[in-house]
Amino acid sequence: MGGIKDKVAIMGTGVTKFGEIWEKDAEDLLVEATYEACKEANVDLKKDIEAIWCGTFYDFSGVAGTNFSDPLKLFGKPVTRVENYCATGMDAVRNAAYAVASGAYDIVLACGVEKILDQGSRGLPGIETMFPDPTLTMASAPAMFAMAANRAFKEWGWTKEDLARVAVKNHYNGARHPKAHFRREITIDKAMNAPIIAYPLGLFDCCAMSDGSAAVVLTRPEIAREYVGDEYATIKASGMAVETLFPWLRPTETFLSFPANVKAAEAAYKEAGIKDPRKEIDFGIVHDCFTITELINYQDMKLCKAGEGASLIKEGVTAIDGDFPINPDGGLKCFGHPIGATGCRMIVELTRQVLGKAEGLQVKDAETGFAHNLGGPFAVGAVTIVGRP
Amino acid sequence: MVGILSYGAYIPTWRLSRDEIARASGIPIVMPGERAVAAWDEDSLTMATEAGFDCLNGIDPKEIDGLFFATTTSPFKEKQSSSLIASALDLRKDILTSDFTNSLRAGTIAVKAAMDAVEAKTARKILVVSADRRVATPASIYEQIFGDGAAALLVGEDGIAEIEGFYTVRDAIPGPWRRDVDDYPKEFAPKLDLKYGFMKNLSEAISGLMKKCNLTPKDISKIAFYAPDPRTYLRSPQLLGVEMEKIQDPLFLNVGITGTPHCLLLLVSALETAKPNERILCASYGDGSDAFTVKTTDKIEEIKGKRKGVSANVKSSRTLPTYEKYADFRRVRETVWPKWSKVAHVMYWRDEKSILPLYGMKCKNCGTLSYPIGRCCVVCGAKDNHEEVKLARRGKIFTYTLDYLIGPGNTEGDGVNPGVRAVIDLEDGCRMFLEIVDCEPKDIQIDTPVELTFRLLNEKSDFKHYGWRARPVRA
Repeated sequence: MGGIKDKVAIMGTGVTKFGEIWEKDAEDLLVEATYEACKEANVDLKKDIEAIWCGTFYDFSGVAGTNFSDPLKLFGKPVTRVENYCATGMDAVRNAAYAVASGAYDIVLACGVEKILDQGSRGLPGIETMFPDPTLTMASAPAMFAMAANRAFKEWGWTKEDLARVAVKNHYNGARHPKAHFRREITIDKAMNAPIIAYPLGLFDCCAMSDGSAAVVLTRPEIAREYVGDEYATIKASGMAVETLFPWLRPTETFLSFPANVKAAEAAYKEAGIKDPRKEIDFGIVHDCFTITELINYQDMKLCKAGEGASLIKEGVTAIDGDFPINPDGGLKCFGHPIGATGCRMIVELTRQVLGKAEGLQVKDAETGFAHNLGGPFAVGAVTIVGRP
Repeated sequence: MVGILSYGAYIPTWRLSRDEIARASGIPIVMPGERAVAAWDEDSLTMATEAGFDCLNGIDPKEIDGLFFATTTSPFKEKQSSSLIASALDLRKDILTSDFTNSLRAGTIAVKAAMDAVEAKTARKILVVSADRRVATPASIYEQIFGDGAAALLVGEDGIAEIEGFYTVRDAIPGPWRRDVDDYPKEFAPKLDLKYGFMKNLSEAISGLMKKCNLTPKDISKIAFYAPDPRTYLRSPQLLGVEMEKIQDPLFLNVGITGTPHCLLLLVSALETAKPNERILCASYGDGSDAFTVKTTDKIEEIKGKRKGVSANVKSSRTLPTYEKYADFRRVRETVWPKWSKVAHVMYWRDEKSILPLYGMKCKNCGTLSYPIGRCCVVCGAKDNHEEVKLARRGKIFTYTLDYLIGPGNTEGDGVNPGVRAVIDLEDGCRMFLEIVDCEPKDIQIDTPVELTFRLLNEKSDFKHYGWRARPVRA
């Protein structure tokens, strides 16, 4: 396998404010993120962008590339709509990256957008009716991960306080990020005593459903230098693994580690040539859809051993000033989770961190970082490593 | 000789005290105790299936030549319940299935039909299941009187009891009724019905049977019969000319009057404690009356302790704390399900073997047992290399959650009543993901032993989809 290490440059990034944005629709958000990314890349959308990958999970414009062409009124170009659960946005970037790495295109755009608020739902809209099998036992997204938390409580003695530390850390970081949805610090007590959403997960263990959009302009490094000088980052690796929508029917499932995570991380580390991520990578952005997920992600990403996730955060390792900061932007906890946009937003954050232009809290000496998504019921794992060229 | 080979019963887990009903409705209690309440996902079909499982415990379902289902509360106006019950019980395809409906006497009529078929040697074993989820007008006295439940009898030759004789009386008396448009039963003049309906018909049937079989009241050790209300039961020794101790406990204190299955349920109850050579008289009422006697054989001892029967079902119960909780069952039941594409119906038909008789697949390559049946193994991916295996119906909870966003029955969560979801390791190693019912959500833990229970899953796309849930093992 050749891999795409350092073959793809991220030379423009755009991201909207995330939150409850009733006043704007998907068109507004997509236009804002796209134009911001193009401006930063010094490219002209109509003239320079040759192809587009746009991630959207919920249907707002037909299940087609028109989800991008219509809002931007950019007709006649190849547009692919991408869906891959919570990794949707990251998968859009991944596909776009392969297109420039192959040489098929020189400059492309990857973006993601989601308008969840408009659907007026608590939790993910339509999950009760998404699957036509009338015999399925449905579980809300927090319920899926709550089952992992209960296993971790039993096996490793983790507690609600361990989970609360994740919420407190991420809210601390998010409070300092101008684009975050939630910008208030919280206390352990507040997190632990919030109403239960899916036992044992309470309100602050769960990320919100927010609106937002993000976009990146990708090219090859030699082209990037023409447009932005040395203001670009490169993709070191992109790993992905798709497991099952029904992990609860697989007798081998432990609920203490997510195989999609492990395999995506292994693939990414291998592509980037990384042996010890704790030493060779400086920080990470992980999918903290739920607090328990962040702790298990530490382990699956090989930042610590199985069962040690809770002590890693307790010891401050993953704090912004720790040895290995995780979610310096505030994570999904503070940005919410517009599904199509999230993975793409994480890549924007990574790029800005490694270029020293982080809008939130800048990680010291951030040269290489990873972003990670975990989609569906631990079904889709995606890891992207970004660094200085 | 034609007789009863096996019996079974099902009383739902939930009970509601008559004091609590009286508090909510303002109607004084008709008698103390509690009544059995079908959960929101139970109906006559599911309860009959449960009673059928109890009856067939240890018996090869493929030996059954017919399934008769008796009820006045069919879940469908047009669609047979017995064929669906037969599928859940994993009976053969080439058997006679029939629903006996529209009369509280339907249970004994089904027994008669089964007897006749066995006697005529057109069938060797016929399973009769009867159940009612009785509908009582809200805030009426019948909310206290009625109870929900099911009984099952396996009819065949040389069993635990012989059926000695059967006598029937038909009567076009108006009685209680429900038209096709009525949600609740209409009441005929109660005193008239009692005198010229219940008493007259029952007496005629019983005396006709005694005469036919050359029996006197002294020859009877127990009478298991239906009566419309507790007062009538109390007066019945005098009316029937037998001693009170011969009246089989009518289950008023802990179940209520279950309608169509009631006299059969009392018969099951009597059989549970009967010794060999005891004669039990069973009598129904509804548009006439049927009476039959069974005489126990030596084999009655062999079945003892191998059936849950009425006794174990009565003992394992949970009390609904309030009338409002009982009313909430109705709210969940009456959920307006989203209109859906026909896909739901087609999948339900295509995957019947996984969904109803609960078969999984055992991979011949890696040995993994998994649910549902598919083409490739969920662990090793081996293609078309498995055998279809009937799954265990007991196991324990591997992990769980209380979901406040998606409530009971996949309804939209109300933030108060969680949907209890659990990953279950069945005894045979198969993994299932099921909703846990009949429980106090806070009691659910990892390793809690559970058993599968056949339930109404939902009514998506205007169809009743039945399938499996789980409950903590009933004592």
